[in-house]
Parts: sequence; structure tokens; C-alpha cells
Amino acid sequence: MTTSKKYNRREVISKGLSLGFMAGSAWILGRPDYLIAQNRLPAPPDLVAVRNGEPDAMFQKAIELMGGMSQFVKKGQTVVVKPNIGFPRVPEIAATTNPILVKAIVKACRDAGAARVYVFDTVVLTASRNAKNCYTLSGIESAARSAGAIVVPVDDFSYREVTIPGAKTLKTADVHSLVLDSDVLINVPVLKHHSSAHLTIAMKNLMGIVKNRMIYHLSGLDQCIADFCLFRKPDLNVVDAYRVLRSRGPSGPTDPKIADTSLKKTLLMSRDIVAVDAAAAKIFGADPLDIGYIRIAHQQKTGNMNLNELKIATFTM
Amino acid sequence: MIWVRIRQVFSILVFLLFALLFLLPERFIHSGLHGLVAFQFVPALIRTLSEPEALFAAGVVFVLLITLCFGRVYCSFLCPLGTLQDILSRLSARMGARRTYRYRPPRNILRYGLLAITAISASAGAMTLIAALDPFSLTGRLFKHLVHPPLAWVYNTATGLLKPFDIYRHPLDTAFVPLSVAVFTGLFLAGVAYLAARHGRLYCNTLCPVGAFLGLLGRLSLFRLRLNPSGCRECARCEDVCKAGCLDARSASIDESRCVRCFNCLQACSKNTIRFRPVRRPGAGPDWSPSRRALIASLAAALTTGTAAISFSLRQPLAAATTPKTLPVTPPGSTGFAAFTHLCTACSLCISVCPTKVLTPSFMDYGPAGFLQPKMNYEKSFCDFECTLCGRVCPTGAIGNLAPEDKKLTKIGEAKLLDDLCVVYVDHNNCGACGEVCPTGAIRFVEKETILYPEVDAKFCIGCGACELVCPTRPRSIVVDALAVHTRAEKNISPPTPKRPGGLPDEGFPF
Repeated sequence: MTTSKKYNRREVISKGLSLGFMAGSAWILGRPDYLIAQNRLPAPPDLVAVRNGEPDAMFQKAIELMGGMSQFVKKGQTVVVKPNIGFPRVPEIAATTNPILVKAIVKACRDAGAARVYVFDTVVLTASRNAKNCYTLSGIESAARSAGAIVVPVDDFSYREVTIPGAKTLKTADVHSLVLDSDVLINVPVLKHHSSAHLTIAMKNLMGIVKNRMIYHLSGLDQCIADFCLFRKPDLNVVDAYRVLRSRGPSGPTDPKIADTSLKKTLLMSRDIVAVDAAAAKIFGADPLDIGYIRIAHQQKTGNMNLNELKIATFTM
Repeated sequence: MIWVRIRQVFSILVFLLFALLFLLPERFIHSGLHGLVAFQFVPALIRTLSEPEALFAAGVVFVLLITLCFGRVYCSFLCPLGTLQDILSRLSARMGARRTYRYRPPRNILRYGLLAITAISASAGAMTLIAALDPFSLTGRLFKHLVHPPLAWVYNTATGLLKPFDIYRHPLDTAFVPLSVAVFTGLFLAGVAYLAARHGRLYCNTLCPVGAFLGLLGRLSLFRLRLNPSGCRECARCEDVCKAGCLDARSASIDESRCVRCFNCLQACSKNTIRFRPVRRPGAGPDWSPSRRALIASLAAALTTGTAAISFSLRQPLAAATTPKTLPVTPPGSTGFAAFTHLCTACSLCISVCPTKVLTPSFMDYGPAGFLQPKMNYEKSFCDFECTLCGRVCPTGAIGNLAPEDKKLTKIGEAKLLDDLCVVYVDHNNCGACGEVCPTGAIRFVEKETILYPEVDAKFCIGCGACELVCPTRPRSIVVDALAVHTRAEKNISPPTPKRPGGLPDEGFPF
């Protein structure tokens, strides 16, 4: 005698349809991991904050919480990863983005199928020798290259002029053509003290894709920093707050022994450049309202600085 | 025969090494190639007189010894300008210009007069003639101001063409050359080229102070070129090839003071009647007597010391008369305006090696006594905090070799903030470009209602010029004033910006 459960026609049709619907929708969305991620979070958060890990491990965790790199980089796309390499300083001074983080991001882009990943920054003092020093001392050139990035030295002919719609002060800017021609822009600032902008985080870091940064200084730093975001917001912002330079920023002293840094072991990630700056300001211990460009960018509706209105995913490793 | 070949190979080799030194200094500075400069007479002599160093003293002694032994071989083997003239006259001959030379009477008043004026004015502190006429410095400027810029342009254009293939290279920077300097250097090259094409080594025997001085020694040389009239067929081919114009075939005589030892005459003579042999000294001539020679030597020595003493005493009044009102900033290691201008021959080696290209040639910025000497040009660039290369390569000691730790505290100028021009004080907008780049933390910011106002803390400022370079206002609202005598800045060890109230939360997230 056999005991076998018999399906009636109705059950077969309904289960078949629902199974087919689930598989089909997953197939159409093309990202089965989305369903898996849904087990933890119903939808990707607005902001992810991870602490107490190494830069690369924190990045892995954060991008997982954001829904994976495939949310941002598709197969065959070109990507610009823009760290802060503005000064000839070693990583211990924390004036430049942590090279381990840059390497992890480049690798994630390559793994997601990016055709080319460019890494560059317009260093503050543009003499060629100084730019070389910035690229080598920061450790970013070798780290990015080892993960398969193309590290691009910047020269005067790398830029094209664009107009910025709705800008109050910075109505035009010469923007690096790799940013204009690439599919994805990933902004990887380091959180640090800044002598004239209070703090430099994600919005300020975008000055490094513009040729004439002195226009900013001349016509109002905060307004210009906020204005540029009306032209182009990065697809993803990853703030390196692993080691934070507390004073004498943005360059820090040349001697790591007297650099005023504290190990925060924190990483922030968001599509919203204003939100990520506001959160980073709080990590630093500052009030986002005191930072001119955060306030202005919020008013210009570039993003949301009110963190209590956002869905924030935090994780302590 | 063999002598000409040896000379050609050797001199071209030396010339190429100098070209590499001036054109690709970054590649060659660490290989010690700049030691070659110790065998250039003027820089080596100035270095030996100012701050003696074994290598340079050896260079001077070497040049004097080879001249006393073999005559002016220096002019054909070691002098880059001599080789350049030979190349130019060879090229002009190829292009169908005049091929043969003729004996010319010496221009003793011109060459020795110029030598005396050059020496006297140099010891009085005016390097004008040295800067203009010293063959080594002249060649250096030709390489740096006329050859390097077009080469860099070609390199940068080529790297630009590689960009579509995802090949990126840092561009090659060139030092800014003022039009006046470029025109002067160009005209001088044209003049030298004309003289070389038409008259061979006429420059070396009229204008060149090294040529004139070595000519004096050359008269005493042990080895001499002698024309043996007995075998001579009077074809005068030797005179045709004598680019110094010192060989008179008719009287079968060679002027040892002007012969640059190119050995062309040896090669030209089909009968081998010209010989390069040591000449026995004692009793060589009937008019020679030890007492007379001793008298001449002591007279010459007394004259030289006397003139040197007098011209040294002229330094003060001369400086007072020629020093400009606003001093240019002199490079770190030079210790100050007077020390620098008295020793620099404007060879531009420091300009070549300067990684940030902050050193640029000047025309008259130092006044007529400091003609062509380089200055710190903060409109074009800034002095790299970690760099001491200019002092390492300066052949004359005009820029001293500083230890990196000393350089970081050597105050060559002082930044002055002009708050009637500064945008922060005028518009109450954040700018702070100057503070961003200050390597010593000498620029502090005082916060008033979230606006950060810059202030200069002079005791930390070393005058590197980064603030002046990046200041966005025109005219600039922060400028570096030169210090006539360099001093020492204080070391900034504490973080000067007070920590923000509240500090960092240590646990969890603040949101």
C-alpha cells in the first residue's frame, strides 16, 4: 500500500503559478540576491554605518547591507573611483583616503564586471612632482593598481567645461572628462578636519574632479561646494572614517608622529551625499548645521541632512 | 690621427653627460653625475674659494695641472661650450659655410682685459660677466632655457596621444622662463653659433674668461705643438684646419696661449712635421733667467692679492648701489641675498633639478650685479617642504647643502597677510586656500560665526610660498617678503587648532 499525497488540479495550478511567479519575478529583476537581502531588510537603507572593523571588511559589510555592488556597477560599465589624494602624506596622517579601502572598492567594481576602473584626484598643488608624491606616499597608486584600476595622473588638458543648472555661484566648471564620460562615479572621501571648510567629507571631495578650485575659494567655498552637486551627484559615497585627522587639516603635518589622529574605525555609505556628510560630521563630533555647505546643499534639495528622517542601517563588527 | 678621434669621442661623451644632467636631472642626480661639475673650472674655482670641498679642489688642481702639462686640453675635452662650438662649426661646414681658417693675430687687450674685469668685478661681488660669459653656465642655460622646453612639449604631446589607449603619464613640467631671459639666451646662442661658424674658436680666445686664464698657463705648458720647418712643404693645410686661428704656417709658429689642443693640425699634416712633444725647460731660451721669472711671478701674485683686496672692499659700496628695493626670495641654503648673489654663476642647474619649478631665472631682479640669477618665483610654484635638491647640486656653493631637518626650519622669507584684499575679511566667505597648503601650520584660523579668518603665525613661517601660489585674489592677499639674511623658524609640534567641544563619541553611533 502506498501513502502518497494527491494534489488536486487547483492546488497544482495555484502552487505552480506562485512558484513560477516568484522564480519569474526574480529572473526579471535579474538580482536573486535582492530576495535574500530582503530577509534582513525590506528595502536598501538610505545610509549604512559600520564600525569596529578593518577598512576593507567594513566596506564588504556595508556594500552587502546596501544590496551588493551590482546595485551600482553593471557589467561592462566604466567607473571612476575618486579618493582624496590631495596631499603628499602617508596613510598614518589620515589626510588621504585609506589605500586598503580604495583597493577593496576597486576590486568590488572589477568583480561586479566593470570594464575599466579609473582612480585619480586633482592634487592641491599641481606641480607634477608633487602629484607623483601624493600618488605614491598615500599608497593609493599601488593599492588601486594592484586591484586592477587605471591610475590617472591629471594634467591641464583633462577637463571639459560644463554649465551647472540652478547654481547660485558656481555656474560653470571645468570637470575631468573621465567623470563626464564614465558610467559610474564612486566618491571615496576621508573624513578629516579642514582649516577653512571646518570639515572635508564627500561634497568637498568633489573639488578634486574640477580644474580650477581657486574659483571656489575666491567666490565662496561653501556655496560653490554645494552648487557643484547640482551638476553631478556621485552614484555612491563611501566615507573613510577609519582614522580621523582631528586638527591641522586638510593636509595635516608632514610628520606622522605629531599628527592629531584618532582611530574611529568607522565607514559610512550612502547614495545621498548630504546625508552621508551630515552623518560623518556627527562622527567627528560636529553639528552638521555648523558646516556651511551641508546646510546649503540641504536647502538646495541635493539631499537630506536630517538623519532622523532617514532609514539608517548600522552594524558593529 | 688618433688624438683627434680621442678628442671627438671624449668631448662628445662629456657633452652628452652634461645634456643628460640638465635635461633629465631627476634620473641622474642620484647617480652622482653632478660630480662632473667639479671639473668645470669656474664653478670649481668659486666653490674652492668659498667653501672648499675635496672634490672641487681636486677639480681645480686637475684642470691647472693638465693645462701646465698639456696646454689648453680643457677647452677641447672638458668644456661643453667648446664642444658645442665644434658641433656648430661642423654643422655649418656641412651646410656649405666657410671651411678653412686663417691665422689671426691675438687680441690680447680684449681677452686679458676682459679676464681682469671679470675677475675684479666678481671679487667685488658683481657676477654679471661671469654669468654672461662662463662657458659652463652659458651651456647650462642653453640646455635649460632653449632645449628643455620644446623637449618637454614634445613629451607632453606624446603622452596626450596615448590617453585614448588608457596609458597615462605625469606631465613634464618646465620652469617658467621670462621673455627677457629667453631672448638674451637665444641671442647669445646665435652669437656663439655665428662666431663658431665663421671663425672657429674665436669666442674662446676673445670673450671667454676661462680661455684667457688657461691661455696664460698654456704659455708654460710642458707639452707643446712644434712645427718642424725642415720637413714642411708649406702647404698650409695645418693653418686651414686651425679653428683657434693660432697657427701661423708662414712663420711656422703656434701661439700656445690660444691653442685649444684640438690636434686638427697633427691630422692635417701629410708630412708629420708637427709634433706634440714635451719641451725641455731649463735653458730653453736665451732670455730666460730664474730671477726674472721669480720677479714676474711675485709681481703677479702681489698684483692679484692687491686687486682682490681692493675689489673685496668694493663689495659694500657696490651692493649699496646695485641692490634692488624689493629683494627676490633666494633658495633655502643660500643663507641670504648677498651670499647668494656673490657666488651664483647662473648655470641653472638648480632650476633644472627643482621638482616643483619654483626656481626660475630672473633677468635683473637681483639688480645688475645678480644678472640672470635664479629666484624663488611664487607666482609660478612653491618650495617643496621635503626637498633639498637645489643645494645638493649647486656647484659653486651659492646654495648650500641643507640637511632635510634644517631645511624645514630655514626661514627664507615671511608670509604677510593683506586683509584689505583677502576675501575672507572683505566678503566674509570661507576661503582658506593659504591654510590648506601651509606645511608648517603657520597659518591659523580664527572662527567668528562659522567663518574662518586666516592669521599668520610668523614664528613658524619659513617662506615656502605655497600660500602665495594658491591665493585666489589678484593682486594676491598673502605674499612672501624676502629675508635679506635667512633665519631659523620655530618647530611647530603641537596641533594649533583647539579641539572641538564635545569631542568624539567613543561608543556606538551618534545617530
